Order: sequence, then C-alpha cells, then structure tokens
Amino acid sequence: MLLDQMSKTISMIRTVELSKVFRTETIQTTALNKVNLTVQKGEFVAIMGPSGCGKSTLLNMLGLLDEPDEGEYYFDGIPTSGMNELNRTRLRKGRIGFVFQNFNLIDELTVFQNVELPLLALRTAASERKKKVQAVLDRMQIGHRRDHFPQQLSGGQQQRVAIARAVVPGPGLVLADEPTGNLDSSNGEEVMQLLEQLNESGTTIVMVTHSLAHAERAHRTINLLDGQVVIDHRIRNFQIA
Amino acid sequence: MMAGISILNLTAGIIAFILISLFLQFHLNYDRHNRLYDRIFRLQIFSDVQFSPNPHSASVTAALARHELTELPEVERIALVHSAGDDNIDGYFFATDPASPVMLKQGWYSDSTIFDIFTFRFIEGSAARSLTEPHSLVLSRSSAEKFFPGGEAYGNVLYLENKIPLTVTGVYEYLPKNSDWRPEFLLPMLDYTEYTGFRNYEDNYWAYSFGVFVLLREHADFNQVNEKIHGALKNYREYHYPYLRPLSKVHMNPYFQPDMIIAIGLFYFIALLILILTSVNYVNLQIADATSRMREIGIKKSVGYSQRELWWQFVGESVTESLACAFIALLVVHYAMPFYHRVLGEDLGLSIFNNPQLIIFVLLVAAATGFLSSLYPAFIISRFNPVRAMRQRFLTLERNGISLKKVLVTMQFTISLFLVIVSFIVFRQASYMIDKQMGFDKDHLLTANIKTYKVGSFEQVRERLIASPEIENACFTDYIPFLLPGGDDMSWEGGHPEEKTFVRIYNISYDYFDTYRIRITRGRGFSREYPADGDKCLINETAVKNFGWDHPIGMKVKTSFWGDWEVIGVVDDYVAQSVHNPTEPHTYRLMGDSVSLTGMYSIRYMPGKKQEAERIARSVFEESYPGDAFQFEPFVNHILAENATRIWGIFRNICFMFAGFSILISSVGLFGLVLYFCRRKMKEIGIRKVLGFSVRRLYMTMVGEFLVLMALGIVLSWAAAWFVYQKLPGADKYGLQASEFLAGTAIIVIVAMATISYNILAAARTSAATILKYE
Repeated sequence: MLLDQMSKTISMIRTVELSKVFRTETIQTTALNKVNLTVQKGEFVAIMGPSGCGKSTLLNMLGLLDEPDEGEYYFDGIPTSGMNELNRTRLRKGRIGFVFQNFNLIDELTVFQNVELPLLALRTAASERKKKVQAVLDRMQIGHRRDHFPQQLSGGQQQRVAIARAVVPGPGLVLADEPTGNLDSSNGEEVMQLLEQLNESGTTIVMVTHSLAHAERAHRTINLLDGQVVIDHRIRNFQIA
Repeated sequence: MMAGISILNLTAGIIAFILISLFLQFHLNYDRHNRLYDRIFRLQIFSDVQFSPNPHSASVTAALARHELTELPEVERIALVHSAGDDNIDGYFFATDPASPVMLKQGWYSDSTIFDIFTFRFIEGSAARSLTEPHSLVLSRSSAEKFFPGGEAYGNVLYLENKIPLTVTGVYEYLPKNSDWRPEFLLPMLDYTEYTGFRNYEDNYWAYSFGVFVLLREHADFNQVNEKIHGALKNYREYHYPYLRPLSKVHMNPYFQPDMIIAIGLFYFIALLILILTSVNYVNLQIADATSRMREIGIKKSVGYSQRELWWQFVGESVTESLACAFIALLVVHYAMPFYHRVLGEDLGLSIFNNPQLIIFVLLVAAATGFLSSLYPAFIISRFNPVRAMRQRFLTLERNGISLKKVLVTMQFTISLFLVIVSFIVFRQASYMIDKQMGFDKDHLLTANIKTYKVGSFEQVRERLIASPEIENACFTDYIPFLLPGGDDMSWEGGHPEEKTFVRIYNISYDYFDTYRIRITRGRGFSREYPADGDKCLINETAVKNFGWDHPIGMKVKTSFWGDWEVIGVVDDYVAQSVHNPTEPHTYRLMGDSVSLTGMYSIRYMPGKKQEAERIARSVFEESYPGDAFQFEPFVNHILAENATRIWGIFRNICFMFAGFSILISSVGLFGLVLYFCRRKMKEIGIRKVLGFSVRRLYMTMVGEFLVLMALGIVLSWAAAWFVYQKLPGADKYGLQASEFLAGTAIIVIVAMATISYNILAAARTSAATILKYE
C-alpha cells in the first residue's frame, strides 16, 4: 500500500542541473544549460521556444536517446546518468513512445509492420502482437489501411500510424517533437485530440510545439531560451491518476 | 575513403584485365610475326582408322613435298623439314672443341626455301646463302652465343657429334616465344641422308616423320589444293588423306580439337566477368557516395547548371577516372612484369610499352567501362537532391520484392563466388593434370641418348651398371614415355580384315617395364628364359579394349609389313605422350641386344643416390662408348618439356592469381555495396534504435536481408561453376569435389560477412539522435 502510494508520488521526469554542450573544432554551443524540470505522471507538458533553443536536445535527453554532459536525469525515479547505451535502451523499451514531426515511418514496411516494430523489440508473442496492433490501429481509425505503405497515406494518416506505433506497447511517457508541424490544421487538430485522449487515459505527454494554440491545450507550458527554462507556466491543474 | 576504394576497385579490375589480355594476346598472335602469315600452311594427314584418339598428324612423308605438291600451280614454295637428332632424340651435340660438346635441342633439317616462307631476321650472314651448301648450318642467336660468346659466329666451324665439321653460314635473331615452329639451329636438308643414313627419303611414301610447310600464291585457295591432294596416298595407305592446315590454326586448333579455344574462351569470359564485376562495384560506390555531393549539386544548380550539363560532368569525371586508373594499371603491370612471369612459371616475353595495340585496347575498354558504369549514377547524381533521389523508391519495382539493390547484391555475390570457385576448379584440374598418376614411376630415373657407330651388346653395359648398389635397373629402348614413337595401322585376330586402328610401336630391351615400373596386368613380360620372345609382343589395356578381346594372351595382331605378332602379355595404360590426350593402343617388341646407332638409355637409381649413380653411369658410358657425346638428364625433364604439361602449369598459376584478384575486387565491391545499403538504411536504423532495438538485434535483422541474397548467389554460382567444370577440356578430368565449392564459398562468405558486419555495426552504433537529426 505504502509502496503503491510512493510510486504515485514519484515524478515521471526529474532533471537536476541538466547540461549539454556540442563542440566542433572551432565552435562550442551550449544546447542545455542547467535545466531543472519535473513532470508528474499523467501530466501533459508543452515545450516552446525559438529554433535552436534546445527543445529537441531536451527531448532527446528525456527520451534517453542522448546523454547529458552534466547533471542528472531521473526517469520514473531511476537515475540514468552514466548508464551505457544497452541499459538506456532496456529502460526506454516499451516505456517511452516517440512521435516525430516527419513521422519517421519506415518506407519499406507496411502500416501494420511499422506499428508492430516496438512489440518486436519487446519480443512479444506473435499472436499477442497481432491483437495489440490491430486494436491500436482501430483506435486510431486506420485499421483499414494496415497493409498499405506509408507513402500511400496522407500526412495525417501517417502521423496517426506514428502515434499508434508510439502507444502500442502501452508506454507511460510519450514524447512528441512538433507532431503537428507537417500537418494542415484539420489533421493537426485530429492529432491533438488523439494526444489528449491518450493523456486522459493516464499517459504522460511531453510535446515540443511552435503552436501557441496547441500548447495551451496542455496542463503546463515551458519556454526555453538559449538552453535555459525561462518560463514555466501552469495553465490548469491535473489530477494524479 | 570512397574515392580511394573506387580507384582501388577500377585499378585492380583493369590490372586483372590487362594481365589476362596479355596472356590471350600472346596466344592469339601466335606466328603472326611472319610477313606471309596468311599464305603459310602446314601439311597434315588425317588417318581415317578406328579408335584413333589422335587421327590427325603433322608428321608426313617427304615424297608428298617432292612430288605431289610441286605440281600444283597454287603452290609458290615448299619447305621439307625434319627434326634434327634422329627419330627419338630431339637434338645433336655440337662442339668447337671435341672435348666439350654441348647438346643443342630443337634443331631441324630444312630446305633453304624455309626462309622464303617464314620470316627470319639474319644478324650474321644472309638467308639467301644459308642451307644451300652441304656441311653448313644456321644458328639462332641464343645457340650462337653458347659457342661464340661475344664474337662472330659466321664462317666458324662447329663439330657435329664430335665427327663432322660444319661451317656457320648465318645467325638469326630470336624468334618470338609465340612461334609454333622455333628452331634453335638449322641443318641443310642436303645433308639429311649423310647424317642419318636414310636413303631415298624423297621418294618414300611410308616414313611419316617429316614436316612440310607450304607457301601458297596470293589469292590461291587452299581448299582447292586440298581437293587435289586428298587422294595422294591412296596407293600407299588408303585411309590416309593429306591436307593443308593454315598457320593461323596451327597453335589454337591444329587437329580439329577445340581444347585450346575453350581454354582461351574461358579466360576471355573470366576477363569479361572481372570487368563487369568492377563496373557493378563502381556503380554501387558512386551511388553510395552521392550524398557527399549534394552540396556541390545544389550550388551548381542554383548558379544555372542544367541537369544535362551536370550529367555530362559526372560521365566525364567517371571516364577520366577510369582512364587515370588504366594508366596506373598499365604502369603497375609494366613494373610487375617480372613478377607476372614468375607467377606464370615461364618468361613469355610479354611487355606493355612496346605493345601499342594492347595499350589502345585497354584505354578503350577502360573508357567504355567508365562511361557505361557512370550512366546510372550520373542520372541519380544530376538530379537536384541526391538524398531525396536515394530515398525515393525508384530502386524498387513496387512491392513485388525485386529491387535493384537485391539484383546488384545477388549479381555481385554470384559473379565473385563464381570466379573464385572456377579459379579453384581450373587450379585443381591443372594440378591434377600436372601431378596425376602417370601409371609409371617417373622419379629416380636418369635418361641419356647416344649416337654411336659402335656395335655391341647392351646386356654387358647393363651388367656393369647394375653391379653398383646405387643403380637399381637399366634398360635400352628406341622410345620412352613422353617421346612418342610412330606406329602402324593394324588389324587384329577376330576383327574384320578391313578394320584397322593405329597402334604405336615401342622397341624395348628386357627390363623396360621393371625400370619404369609399368605394371603387367596379364600374361608376362619379355624374358631371357624364352628365346622365341623376339616374335612376340605385349600390348596395353587400351589396345585390348579396342580389339574387343576378352582373353588377349595368345591372340595375334596383324601388321602391314612385319606379319603377325602373338600377344604374351598386357600392360596397364600409362601416360605415354601427354597428360592432356587419351591413351592410344601400344605394342611392345623385344629389340635385339645391340646398341647400334641411336637409342634411349634409362637408369633407375636408388633414392637419394642421383649424383653417385650419374657418376658411375658416366664412367661406364665413357668406357663403353669412347669419343661419343652423351648427356644425362632426369627423366622428369621430358615431362616438363611437354607442351600440355607446360600449358596446364601456366593455367594453374594464372588461376591462382585470378582467384586472388577476384577476392580483392569482390571485397571492394561488397564494401561499397554494403556501405550504400547502410546509408540507405540509416533512417530505419535510427527508428529501430529509438524503438528499443539493441545493436545485436539490428545487426541480425540487417544481416538477415543479405543472407537470403547470398544464399541465392550461392545456388546460381554453384550451378554456373558446375557447368564450366563439365565444359573443361582434356581427356581426363579430376573428380569434382565439394571442397572447391565449400572453400570458395567460405572465402567469399567470410569476406562478405566481414564487410557487412563492419558497415552495419558502424551504422548501428551511431546514436539514434544523430541519425534522426540528419535524416
């Protein structure tokens, strides 16, 4: 009971003085500068800021795709700095879903095969895979397109496939990098609705966006400038699930 | 790095192509140094008898040259020749000082008209005044240098066999190594009777030991000549038909057996495959490298270059690169020529820079390779955005699973594997031919020939020889293995009298089979205990088979001149002439115990006692034949001098080298291909990594794609290699074994897996964030 209570109070994301510097032979660019950030389970956070402010770098850190140079990142209470790639992959697998601006679907694979990929990584049994993929495709209303290739779909449909792929293993966290950036307004709206539905069902969402309208549909917006958090604004409260 | 790989690929491919071309050019240009090449013919005879594996022969009778041919209006010149050194001995001893005679081989008696037919370049004396006087001789430059180093040979005297003084009337420049007829010295045909004792040879229609070269008049049709001489021998040997064979066929296909043409064709095919492989590699490397040119294309487009201009730019670059590589390759081959000759095992006198024909050919081939290989990459590169071009699915024939990538990989893999396996097969076949069981023991044998006018008993010489423990056995024969005797068209007991087959005749002393360790399979050998053996004979198993006898002992063979011979024994077949040709029927006759005139002495010594045995034999011979010239040599020299063995040896070495080239070029090609594949797959690698695939799983997934294509390549190349094995020339083929296929496949699979693993692991280790950022 106590354990259950504790796990609920543990933050999904907590960074402490997180820094990242990119170096070339002549130039040194500080992408993140001592970022302190906490995101609770079930929260929907939008990250905003001008180009080059470090939004994507932060998202990569949070997704365990990249390592910070300094600071600590606790994912679901687990400290991750110093973890090797294999352990970061293990930690990420099935627990973090990604949605990209350019969808990042594999052209040679069908819709079904694309969505199936995270379950293959988790070595889920074939029958269960089939069931889960079909269920999520139906939920995203693209079940009838399961045997098509990405390039045969519209942008909105492709993004729905990408979201299906992100959520199929049931991750606690979905990281979305400008998910509506390549879509027209009606398709963008559909994607936002899907993300809201996901959040309502308990999934933590961190979304990078340039759209103020879309950002305002989150619980909270965070503004970055030159790698630092400059505004952390709560729009509305949310209930810990 | 890509530029380096690309240059290595092209240069290696062109080097391989030049080396094969040199070798092929050597063979295709045989005898072409003769000014009258197209008008020169060799007289040959077709003997239409049964079971003859070699029914054609260039050994003909002298009478045809002196009578039938002289009457024909088409004929401008005729030269009668005969190898100098009697029937069984290829050479004579010559000396400026009788104490130190030197054996010169490959000499010929010849009419002086030979200089009107073949092109000889005289450096001393003149063709017009050579071979016209008795007791004269003409020397090749190399022969002259043996006797008159640094000095003039013309007008000097050489003693033939320590007996007859001959005056040198001319010295001619080396004949090219690709000359079919390459005498080291020439004696006048005028002296033939005096030196050999063969009288009236010019009217003799029975002695088939002469050679005849004919020069036809311009525009004369040799087919008409052939019609006229077709029946010239009908009064003598009714199944024998003389005909002229063009000099242009004498090297490649003298006797209507296309073995040499098949072998040369196979090498041509290999050269072409290596070029195709190089080309495929080039395409793969160029496309893989296209991304790095994106910026350049973008800038050029923005300042107004059209797609066509860009296309021409890349085609031009590619042709220039190929030509540059061709120059590098020509230089490398030029400097590596001594090494190439060492690999071939023989100095063929090949060279590059006095060979403008070849240089032009190589440059044209290189330019064509560059042009054709660049068409596709130029098409891709000249598009505005190569990255997008690469990403597009133009490489895929929509979703039916066949993509250009798969075709390229499979083709690349199939050709590489095929080349390596075929190299191994030809290598094994050549080794088998060279090392094959001869059917006798070729080791620990010394041979010598002596021309002597003494008459005496060989048995006494033999007794003295085998009295020494170093010498195990000795025999005296007219011919030995690898020196081919003549024979007769024979019929046989139980066969139809009209049925005849050509049977070679060996005259041997008692101990021939024991000395050479030839197995007697039925009956017995000649024995001193049976005085009547002089009328009997032994035959070989091939003869038994041809005669269709179940029980050969006691049966009779019927000769044209010498009556019937009763068979007392059968010997196992052994290689008597050439590793390449099938065994012919043989008969063996016991010769009288006389050492008169000429013959071959064979001595079997105890292993490790060669020097001692030779010393003992030398002293016995010096005492037995005082004043006669002789020379001992290991028997294996006869095998090594034999043409088929030499050619197989060269084939073996070439194959060994080209297996190396194939592996190198394949590795380069696979590297480029896999790199291209990985670059195309970067996005997928990134996505899979984000989704939690480990490096190991990524590796397994991507390698899996290649494994399927490799399996297909294995099936195709194995089938093609098996087909080549079936078509390999030669009477006797080694039993094909799985090891050639497995070893070849193992090498290529290891190379492929190493390159695939290197590239895939490099791609898979790149961080997902980096990949997705740039993709």
